Amino acid sequence: MAPSLRSAVRKTWQTLSSIKTGVVLIILVVIFSAAGTVILQRPITEPDDMQRAYSPAMLRFLDATGLTDVFHAPWFVALMILVSLCIIAASVERFPNSWRYFARPYKSPDAGFRRVLPIQAHIAIRDDEQGLSAAERALRHLGFRSERIVRTDSFSLFSERHRISEMAVYIVHASLLLIFLGGIVDALYGWRGFLMLNPGTASNQIEMRNGGTRTLPFSIRCDATGEETYSDGTPRKYWSKLAVVENGREVSRKEIVVNDPLVYQGARFYQASYGRTGKLDELIVNAARADGKGAPQQIALKMNEVVPLDAETTVQVTEFIPDYVVEDGHVYARSNDVTNPAVHLVVTSAKTKQAINYWLPEIPGIAENQSSPYTFDPKDLKTGQFTGLQVSHEPGQWAVWAGVVLMAIGLTFVFYVVHMRFWIVPVPDARGGSALWVGGSANRNRDAFEHTFKKLVEQIQKELKPASVAADEKAAASIAR
Amino acid sequence: MARATVEQQQQPATGAALIVMVGLSIAFLLFMAFLNVVKSGNLLNEANLLYAALIFYAGAGALYLGFGVTGTESYIKFASLATWAGLIANTAAMAHRWYEAGHPPFASIYEMLLSFVWTLAALTLIAEKRYGVKVIGTVTMPVAIVGVILMQLLPSEVRPLVPALQSTWLHVHVSLAMLAYAACALSFALAMMFLIQDRMKTETFLAATTLFTVAIYAGILTRFERWGGLSVVAWDAQNKQEVFLSRGVRLFVTIPDLGWLMLLVFAAVAAPLALYILAGFKKNEGLIAIANRAVFISILLQTLALVFFILRARDGSYPSLDADGLYATSLAASPFMLSALVGGIFANLLYLLLLWRRADLERLLPDADQLDRITYKTICIAFPLLTLMIAAGAFWANRAWGSYWNWDPKETWAAITWLVYAGYLHMRITRGWRGRRAAYFAILGFAVVMFTFFGVTYLLPGLHAYA
Repeated sequence: MAPSLRSAVRKTWQTLSSIKTGVVLIILVVIFSAAGTVILQRPITEPDDMQRAYSPAMLRFLDATGLTDVFHAPWFVALMILVSLCIIAASVERFPNSWRYFARPYKSPDAGFRRVLPIQAHIAIRDDEQGLSAAERALRHLGFRSERIVRTDSFSLFSERHRISEMAVYIVHASLLLIFLGGIVDALYGWRGFLMLNPGTASNQIEMRNGGTRTLPFSIRCDATGEETYSDGTPRKYWSKLAVVENGREVSRKEIVVNDPLVYQGARFYQASYGRTGKLDELIVNAARADGKGAPQQIALKMNEVVPLDAETTVQVTEFIPDYVVEDGHVYARSNDVTNPAVHLVVTSAKTKQAINYWLPEIPGIAENQSSPYTFDPKDLKTGQFTGLQVSHEPGQWAVWAGVVLMAIGLTFVFYVVHMRFWIVPVPDARGGSALWVGGSANRNRDAFEHTFKKLVEQIQKELKPASVAADEKAAASIAR
Repeated sequence: MARATVEQQQQPATGAALIVMVGLSIAFLLFMAFLNVVKSGNLLNEANLLYAALIFYAGAGALYLGFGVTGTESYIKFASLATWAGLIANTAAMAHRWYEAGHPPFASIYEMLLSFVWTLAALTLIAEKRYGVKVIGTVTMPVAIVGVILMQLLPSEVRPLVPALQSTWLHVHVSLAMLAYAACALSFALAMMFLIQDRMKTETFLAATTLFTVAIYAGILTRFERWGGLSVVAWDAQNKQEVFLSRGVRLFVTIPDLGWLMLLVFAAVAAPLALYILAGFKKNEGLIAIANRAVFISILLQTLALVFFILRARDGSYPSLDADGLYATSLAASPFMLSALVGGIFANLLYLLLLWRRADLERLLPDADQLDRITYKTICIAFPLLTLMIAAGAFWANRAWGSYWNWDPKETWAAITWLVYAGYLHMRITRGWRGRRAAYFAILGFAVVMFTFFGVTYLLPGLHAYA
C-alpha cells in the first residue's frame, strides 16, 4: 500500500508544481472572477432586484451553485487555496536547483560546458598570463570585479554581477502568498459592520454586515458631525468628532473625515455616510403679540420644551413633521427628508385656561392661529443629524501591505536586475598556439547582454594590442551564437 | 481625422507638397483661432490651448499618414515637430487645468482623457526617438485626435472633488493606471507590427479587422429599439450631465430610423467577414479580392453612419420609451458610441494601409525579432506598473471605504488583467514562448485592458462610478 500511496502523492505533487497546472488554474480564476462581475452578486444587490433580473428557476440554480456570491463561495475559496498550493509546490520544486545555483556558483567551466555555451568567443593570445591579465583589465574597465580560479588542472577567470536576481522569482511568489495569507486571516478573523450615531450619543453595538450585532469592549461617542459644501452645493467634506470611551473614561479623541479614519484597538471607524434624521433639534421663531403691543421677541424652541412668552402664556412644540401632507383633515408625514416641514405649536394661557393649536405654516381646518394671543414667524430650523460609521477590523492587512512591498522589490529584481556571468579560460588553439576562451551568460535580457559581451571582447582585444604583433591584431574573434 | 484622410488622398508623389499643405492649413487654422482670441481678449485659456493641440496633432497625424503611405522619410521630421508643438500645447492645457482645479487632472473622464492624450503623445515621441518605430504615429496620432475631439464634447468645467476623491493616493493610483494602460497600448501596437513583419497573411488581418468592426456594430445594435430607432442617453444641457430616472438608472431616448441605418452598416461590415469565411471553405482566392472591395464600401457606409449619428445625436429632442414627453440629447451623452464609430473607421483605414502598402511598411518597420523583444520589454514595464496601480488603489480603498479589496467589478477586472499578463510572463520566461503566440497573448492582454477601462465603466455596476 505504501508504495502506491507514495507514488500517488508524488504524482499529485508533480501535477501541482507543473506550469501547465498553474496556467489552467489562472484561466479558471479568470473565468470565475469574470462571472462574478457579470452575474449580480448577493449581499450588494437587493433581493428584489435579483428577482427582477432572473427567472425563479435561474435564480435557484445560481444560488445553489454559489454563482450569486462567487467570491465567498466555498469552491472559489478552494480554487484560491489550490492556486496557493500550486505556487508553493512550483516554488519548492524549483527552489533547490536555484539555490544550488545561487549558493555554489559555477566558476570553472569544463570542456563540455565550453563547447555548448551559446555566447562565446576565442581570442588569440601569446601566453596565458598575458591574456588573463588583459581580460582582468578589460573587465575592470567595464565595471566588473573578477576573481582568479585556480584548480589543479586549470587556471581561469570568473566574474559575475547581481547573483540575487536568480532568487527574485521566489521573492515574488512569497509576496503573493503573504498577500493571500493576509486575505485568509481577514476572512477568518476580520469583521465589518456599521454604527450610526447622533451627536451627543455613544454606543458599542456594531450592526454586522452579515446580520446580528457585535459588542465592542469600548464605546464610541459622537460629539459633533456635519458637512461642508462647495458653492454649487456638491459636498466637499463630511466630518465627525469622535471620542473613544473605555470603562467610563475618555481615552482617545479624533475628528474623522472621509479619507482619514479613527483607529482604536485594531478597529477602524470610517466616515461612511451623513444625513439629517428628520427630527427637530431647534426652532427659532419671532413671537409678537397679536394685539400689536410690545416688541416681538426671538425665542428658541426645542421639542416638547415649555417656553414662557409672558407671565401667563407659554408655548411648546408638540409635533414636527419634516415633509407634511394634509388628507381628510389630518396631517401626515410623507418622508423623513426635511423638504416641506410643518410645526405644531401649542400656546397655553394660564388666565383663560385655553390651549390653542398653532400651526406653522397655517393649515386650514386644523390650525387655530387666528385665536392665538401671539403670532409666530419662523426664522430658523435645525434638524437632528446622524453620522454613519463603517467599522472594520482587518488583522491581516499588514501581511497584505508587507506582501505588496515585497512584491514591488521582487518585480524590480525580476525585470530589471540581470545576473551576468563571464568565464575566461586560456585554452590551446588548433594550430598549437594559445587562445583565450571567453564565455558569457545572462538570465534575461539576452540581446542587451550580447552587446555587453561584444564590448568586453573588443576591450580585451584592445588591452592585448600594445603587446601583440600586428598579425595578432586581425586574429579571429568569432562570436558564435 | 477627416482632414487627415482627405489630404492623404490628395497626396501626390512629391514630398514637399504635403508638408507645405499641412503647414499652410496649420498656419491658417492658428490664424483664424488667433482672430477669435483677439476678439474675446482671453489668450491662454484651456479651450484655446486644446484647440492648438488639436491642430498640431491633426497636422502630425496627416504627416504620419503621408509617411505611412508614401514612405517619404522627410515627413517624419515635420511630423515629430508638429507632435512636439501639440505636446507643448497639451502640457500647457494640463498645467492650466491643474492650476484652475487645484488638483492633478485625473478626477473626471474629461481630465483623464487630457492626461491620456498627453501620455500617448509623449510615448509616441519616445517610441520614435528611442526605438526607431517611426510609423507608430500613424496609429497613435489619430487616437490622440479623437481624444481631443471627445474632450470638446465632454463636460469640462472644473468640478469640485467629492470627499472620497480627496486623497493623494487617488493621484498615485490614477497616474499609475494611465502609465500602465499606455504601456499596454504600446505593447499591443508593437505586437500588431510584429505580426506584419512575421509575414502573417494579409487576409488574417482582414478577418481580425472586420471581426473587430462587426463587434462594434453588434455592440451598437444592442441599443436597437422598436421601429428602427436607436436609443441613446438623454442629456441635461443645463447641468451638463446625463438624465437619471432613479439612482444609477439612465434615461434613454430613441432616435428614430437611425437603428435601420446601423443595421444596414452592420450588414456592410459583416459582408467582408462572410466573404473571408466563404473563401476559406471554397479555397477561392478571388473572393478575398471581392472582400477587400467590400471593406472599401463598408468604410464609406461607416462614414455615412458616423455623419448621420453626429447630425442626429448632436442635439434635438426625441421621445423615450420609459417616460412621457421629449427629452434632449447631445453628443456628449454618447461619447463611447462615437468613439466606437470612429474607431471602426480607423481600424478599417489601417487595414487598407496595410493592403496597399505592405511592402513599404515591411521596409520601414524594425525586423520581427526586434519587435518581439520590444513588445516583451514594454510588458516588463507595464506589469510592475499594473501591480503598483492595484496596490495603490487597494490602499486608497482601505482609507476611504474600510476595506482593501471589495471584489467590485473594476477591481476584479484589474486583477484579471494582471493575471493575463502574469500568464504571458510565465509562458515567455519558463516556456520560452516567442513570436506569434506571445504576440497573440499581448493582444489579448490589451483587449482585457480596454474592457477594464471602458467596458466595466459602462456595462457593469460598481464603486468606480467616477471613471
